[in-house]
Amino acid sequence: MRDAGHRQVDHTADLALELWAPDEGALLVEAARALVGVLTEGAAVARRDTRALALSALDPEDRLVRFMNEVLFLAIAEGFLVADAELALRDDGLDARLWGEAGAGARLRTELKAVTYHALALRLDADAGRAWARVVIDV
Amino acid sequence: MKLERIDANRYRIPKTGRMRVPGVVYSSPELVDDLRDDPSLEQVANVAQLPGIVGASLAMPDIHWGYGFAIGGVAAFDPDEGVLSPGGVGYDINCGVRLLRTRLSRDEVVPRLETLVGALHRAIPSGVGSKSHRTLTTGELAQVLVRGARWAVDHGYGEPADLDVIEEGGTFAGADPDAVSDRAKQRGLPQLGSLGSGNHFGEVGVVAEIYDPAAAEAFGLHLGQVTVMLHSGSRGLGYQVCSDSLEEMLKASARYGIALPDRQLCAAPLSSPEARRYFGAMASAVNYAFANRQMLTHFTRQAFAEVFGRSAGELGMGLVYDVCHNIAKWETHRVDGRERRLCVHRKGATRAFGPGHADVPGRYRAVGQPVLIPGDMGRYSYVLAGTQRALDETFGSCCHGAGRRMSRHKALAVTRGRSIGKELAERGIQVRSDSRRTLGEEAPEAYKDVAEVVDAVAGAGIARKVAKLVPIAVVKG
Repeated sequence: MRDAGHRQVDHTADLALELWAPDEGALLVEAARALVGVLTEGAAVARRDTRALALSALDPEDRLVRFMNEVLFLAIAEGFLVADAELALRDDGLDARLWGEAGAGARLRTELKAVTYHALALRLDADAGRAWARVVIDV
Repeated sequence: MKLERIDANRYRIPKTGRMRVPGVVYSSPELVDDLRDDPSLEQVANVAQLPGIVGASLAMPDIHWGYGFAIGGVAAFDPDEGVLSPGGVGYDINCGVRLLRTRLSRDEVVPRLETLVGALHRAIPSGVGSKSHRTLTTGELAQVLVRGARWAVDHGYGEPADLDVIEEGGTFAGADPDAVSDRAKQRGLPQLGSLGSGNHFGEVGVVAEIYDPAAAEAFGLHLGQVTVMLHSGSRGLGYQVCSDSLEEMLKASARYGIALPDRQLCAAPLSSPEARRYFGAMASAVNYAFANRQMLTHFTRQAFAEVFGRSAGELGMGLVYDVCHNIAKWETHRVDGRERRLCVHRKGATRAFGPGHADVPGRYRAVGQPVLIPGDMGRYSYVLAGTQRALDETFGSCCHGAGRRMSRHKALAVTRGRSIGKELAERGIQVRSDSRRTLGEEAPEAYKDVAEVVDAVAGAGIARKVAKLVPIAVVKG
């Protein structure tokens, strides 16, 4: 297993992603890349433009779903595709500096409705340097 | 999950643990075997745990796994004790189906089918993130969210008569555009009058069988007649309304002490500010979807008029009906001999009011509300009529479609290397899609046989079969 990565998991009618990384911050970055990968069918995204993002969340699970929904919104409503992120996690949310490509809406190939809370799983093991999540996306 | 047979078309999930009511699953001996180990039954039991649920947590024969509520789920809640749950409505708020009739016969259409499907594909914006022919101003969007299909008709998209045969008259009361986030509005501005992608479609069909001549006559359907079915919803605006509401409802669930077996079932008491706010936003998305299908109807009529050189009026392209699949509504139902006002959640389920009900359009009142059940793009779809039994047992609800039997991934795997478009063309069905992948994911074999689903609801008596439609042309995103 690489330090960080993801795979798509077969799921009736929809799409599930399994994500892994050394810690929660890296996991969120991996989640953003995985999501953009699904949206663009794996196109390379340049680290060219930047955006700031802040969000509130109830707990780490909620933070993951909300962050992914932000990445989804930026892609489909504003045409900003995330390639990378620098994150500062807070107890009640996060602040992020995102890098990617603006004005890239034409590169979307898949319509996703939302990242859901269903069957959401997040395991954070700081001692072992492992973070793992499963997220289901409504297609 | 324990499932007890009541009769051939009814199965009970007994009340256990935290369930407040039992679950009742409408199915058949053929369908129920596939269901026994399905996680959707657990979802039916989870919904039965929600406060204020009345009667039973219901599931239709096309039940499959959904977010929070199963798709094919119906649940009604008491106004004082009950809750409103965005998971009981779904992401694509007021996803629904409408059916248009024509005066054209199969023989008139088939020679021009290729031209027609091309014209439809040009006329109906479709595909990933599809944008309409017109981008709304924020002022126009605010009107759409309140007035629904009526806004579209007032702006030249269709006829006033269309409104008579849309659930809720095409305008759902209770909309509060201020409860819709700026993000949802941003997503909604360019998309009104677009089909979208995935399982949304426009389908030209032919009436292949009539089961109930009186109802078919009332619906204006006869053998050999060409029809058009449209399936779409509230597009990105609706998805965003749902997504936004979950954030607020998760907090509300904690605040009101609602135990959640699944976060996606988050809910708030019907009388709470959170529920009222969600209802206002949901109703706005419902109206957006009604206006969306109304515009798609207009584009469809334009395409037919262009190809056949006659106006839509001359072609007899009246609307048969328009039904919602994903909605929560205040309705009055008789429960244990008493009339009660209830909030009915239908998620992947169709309203199916029987003969005589005041909410059934006058011209259909003697036979019951039309219920439109699309199948997959290679086989057939059905027109049913609602029944008194549905009103007695299921809060006037019925199934909504075939339901998938393969994941999208599996469907792509089994159709790899094949041309679904070519295969369907060999069977006399012209298909246009912006995406080869969509055709693979939506291949007929990826879906259950809708006839089995329809036979189960007809067997249970919660709907009557009226007509069968077979596809001859399909436009997909």
